[in-house]
This record gives sequence, structure tokens and C-alpha cells, in this order.
Amino acid sequence: MGATFLLLAFDRAGHLRGKQPAWTPAIAVAPRVADAKPSPDAGKPPPHNDKVEDMPEGKGREVTFYTCTACHGVALIKAQGLTRDLWDNTFDTMLEKHRMPPVKADERAEILDYLAEQFPPRRKGRGAGNPFLK
Amino acid sequence: MLKGTAFVAASAALPAAALAQSAPASKGPKLLEMDGKAKLHVLGDRPLVAETPAALLDDDVTPTEKLFVRNNGQFPEMPADLKAWKIKIDGEVNTPLEISLGDLMAKYENVTLQLMLECGGNGRSFFTPEARGNQWTNGGAGCPQWTGVRLADVLKAAGLKSSAVYTGHYGADPTLAGETDKPTLSRGMRIDKAMDPHTLIAFKLNGKDLPLAHGAPVRLIVPGWAGSLSTKWLTRIWVRDKEHDGPGMGGFSYRTPKKPIVPGSKGDDKDMAVLEAMPVRSVITSPADGSKLSGRKIELRGHAWAGDHEVKTVEVSIDHGTTWKPAKVNPPANKFAWQRFTATVDLPSGGYYEVWSRATDAAGKTQPFAATNWNPQGYGANPVTPVRVLAEA
Repeated sequence: MGATFLLLAFDRAGHLRGKQPAWTPAIAVAPRVADAKPSPDAGKPPPHNDKVEDMPEGKGREVTFYTCTACHGVALIKAQGLTRDLWDNTFDTMLEKHRMPPVKADERAEILDYLAEQFPPRRKGRGAGNPFLK
Repeated sequence: MLKGTAFVAASAALPAAALAQSAPASKGPKLLEMDGKAKLHVLGDRPLVAETPAALLDDDVTPTEKLFVRNNGQFPEMPADLKAWKIKIDGEVNTPLEISLGDLMAKYENVTLQLMLECGGNGRSFFTPEARGNQWTNGGAGCPQWTGVRLADVLKAAGLKSSAVYTGHYGADPTLAGETDKPTLSRGMRIDKAMDPHTLIAFKLNGKDLPLAHGAPVRLIVPGWAGSLSTKWLTRIWVRDKEHDGPGMGGFSYRTPKKPIVPGSKGDDKDMAVLEAMPVRSVITSPADGSKLSGRKIELRGHAWAGDHEVKTVEVSIDHGTTWKPAKVNPPANKFAWQRFTATVDLPSGGYYEVWSRATDAAGKTQPFAATNWNPQGYGANPVTPVRVLAEA
């Protein structure tokens, strides 16, 4: 049993990230059943504990980490592969839709530089190298 | 030195599949560790988002522990008396209602249906280049049994005004920033979808009270359309006289291009229209991807579904679509339930095969070979997705 389906999708696109999972086979696993006695945390998601070091080293890592993970996890950031334009657009989405507190212009630029450098489009295939993309 | 360079060059030229197999197994996806849930694949832990791997989607009726989890905000606190939970119906109605869950359950006919729930972004990881958001494969979907009352019955009781054209849904989940006075997400639908007898205000999942992660104590189920309409922890339905404009209705959220845009480009939010029904999709649930087969005969199983439509045909291929063979497709348990397909496939030899399935819906739409209509937030990707097997004999 080897890599699976997600990977295959990436493979078909000719893309594979170094840190992207080759995953364990999707076999049935006995579910853990909820505890019968009620607890204030019953049904809540497991805890999480992201650290700055969970993101790749680079200029702007700290400000990016503390700005973004005030609300959401590092895993979401690392799963993206976007141009600077789309990262810029993402920033607007966070401000407008998710009401992220305002960020100073120079910090925004530093964060965008970091994100565009560390998480650019990586999937290659029919959709890559489009002649109409600048 | 020369050797090293040659190796790098060779690696770059290798197909990704070869590289994938050399990757250490410990790099697999993070598995969900949560009471009452199977080991789903975690796409994000804050907010919690986890998808069901294809092989765990094999049950006819998706068990609660295997149902995918999608959140946009945080989990709300539950009051001690869940039956006292209030739902407000207001806006373009003659008689605004504020009804407790207990009264809702007692006053309206209770119905149980097997209904598809699917994340609007299901299939997003198949887009090239990457689209923004959680990178779902096909696992943002499931088809459990839901018990509730018809939203239509409640709206009829409130009396829709002729100006009622759209809904706006609100839930109790705090935003990621922790606010409880603002909606995390508030999406809505055309009034005819709200009046469909399969659109439910649901309070049971597979015969049991809703778990917190799935919207306790009461939620909407809007089958066949983007899952974000199926508001969890439901508190209010605002009947609107125009397309709803809550968070999640504008920009690029749950919207697809009216005219195709260059993949990877920023797009123009004025050229986007609201995503409604989900596209046709099929998933092979057995054998599991990566299976080693002792013989050459495969008893193939899977599920197919198609938004508002029934699935008409499913075909399977073991030669990248050079030839296709029809699968047997069962009728759905009810409208908006997925359909089982089965096929017996005889491999002509031992060796490596990719098994494909391709569903076509009653409207004649079929799954493409690559995700189409690229959009910045990646909705509507439903390409044919293979299962890889190795036959030893």
C-alpha cells in the first residue's frame, strides 16, 4: 500500500511538494466512541499548538506567523500555492470577510513578500505556464 | 559532484508518482484524533477541517464518525437545555416566528431522509494552478440520514410575502477572531430551493442527536448545493427580498466565473455568480487506492451523485479512458441521496493499473478529465480521479 489519492491528484498535475504527504493507506480504522459522561468540552475539536518554527524560515516569518495565526492554523497557510497577486487578494478577503484587524502597510508588504516567496504556485501540468499570465 | 548534478536532473525529470513512492510514509496526512470521529484526514486544525478518505466512504449510509468536518469559525458553547434553543424566522414573512427546538420538533411533521452533504470546495486540490482554500480531494462529502422538519413547512407557517425571493442563514458559531456578535458565515439560497421538500431543519443525524461538530442541536440541510448553506448551530433564517449579502455571499466566496478566466489570475469579483448545485462526481470506495491485489478480478464499488440531478450512468476504465465499461448504478434511496455503483473488472494481466470511474448525470453532464472553470477559491472541480492498484498475478 503506498501513496494515495491526494498524491495522485498532484501527480496528475505533475506536481509534488517536498513537504507534501505521501500518505498511509486509507483503510478502515475503528472509531473511538464518545465518552458517556458529559463534559464541558464534549464534542469540541482536539487542541492545537502551532509554533513559529512550523513555518519555513525566511524574512517576514515572525510577522506572518503572529498576524495570521491569531485566527487560523499554520496548516491552512502551508496548503496554499498562490501568486503574489492572489496572496494580496487573500489579504483583502481576510480583512473584509473574516474581519482581521487592520495591518500597517509596511507589515502587509513584508507578509506578502514572505507568503509569495514561500508559498508560490507549485502545481505543474496543463494549467501551468499559461501564456496569458504575466 | 557530477553524479550529484546528474541525480538532481534525473529527479526533476521523473514522473511525480515515482517521487511520491520514495517519500517517507511518516509524511502522511495528519489523522484526526477526536472522540466520536474516525481517523479522517485533517486539512486544517484551526478552524477544524477534515475530509473522509475515499475508502472510508464505502458505507451505503455514511456513519456519523466518518462524516467530513468543515468549520469556518469556532465551536459555540452549548446551553444546558437544548430544547429551549431558539430559531428566528423573519424578514419577508407575514408572521415572524421565534420557535424553540422543542416546539419545532413537536409542531411540524418529522421526516427522515438520506441526504447528500458536500462542501462547496470539494475537489479543490485538483485545480492547477492551486486555488485558494482547504485542499479537498473528494472527501468533503457524505450521505448520512438526517431527521428534521421541512423548512418549507416552517416558512409556510410564517407566510411568505410575494417579495420573498431569497434566504439568509445564521448560526451561533463565533468567528475565528472569537466574536459572538457577528456572523462567521451567513449564506443564503433562492426561495424555491428553500421550499424544496428535501431541504430540512435537522436535529438528528443517523437517528441520534446531532454531535456538536455537526451543528448541535439544530442545523439546516440543503442537499445537493454547497455545504455552507447547511448552516450549523442554526439561530435565524432571514427571508430576503433580494440575493442575500452576508459574509460568504460576495467577492470570490462560493462564487464561480460567469465567463471563464485565465487559471491563476486574480479575476474580477463583478464577473462572478453564486455557486448553487454541486457538479456530478463519482468516487471509487473499493478497492482502496494503493491496494495490492492477489488476483486479476476486481469487484469495484463506489458512490456517485450530482447536485440537483440523478446520476444516469457510471463507466469504468482501466486504460486511462481508452476503453470504458458500464457499471451497474443503483437508484438513490430518495432524491438527493448518492447512488451505489458496482462493476466487475478483469485485468488482462498482472501489473500496475489505474482504475477510473466517470459519472454522467440526467442532464447529460459528465465528469471531465481535468478540473475546469478555474476560479480563485476553487469551486466545482470534479474530474475523474483514479485508484491505483498493483495486481501480483
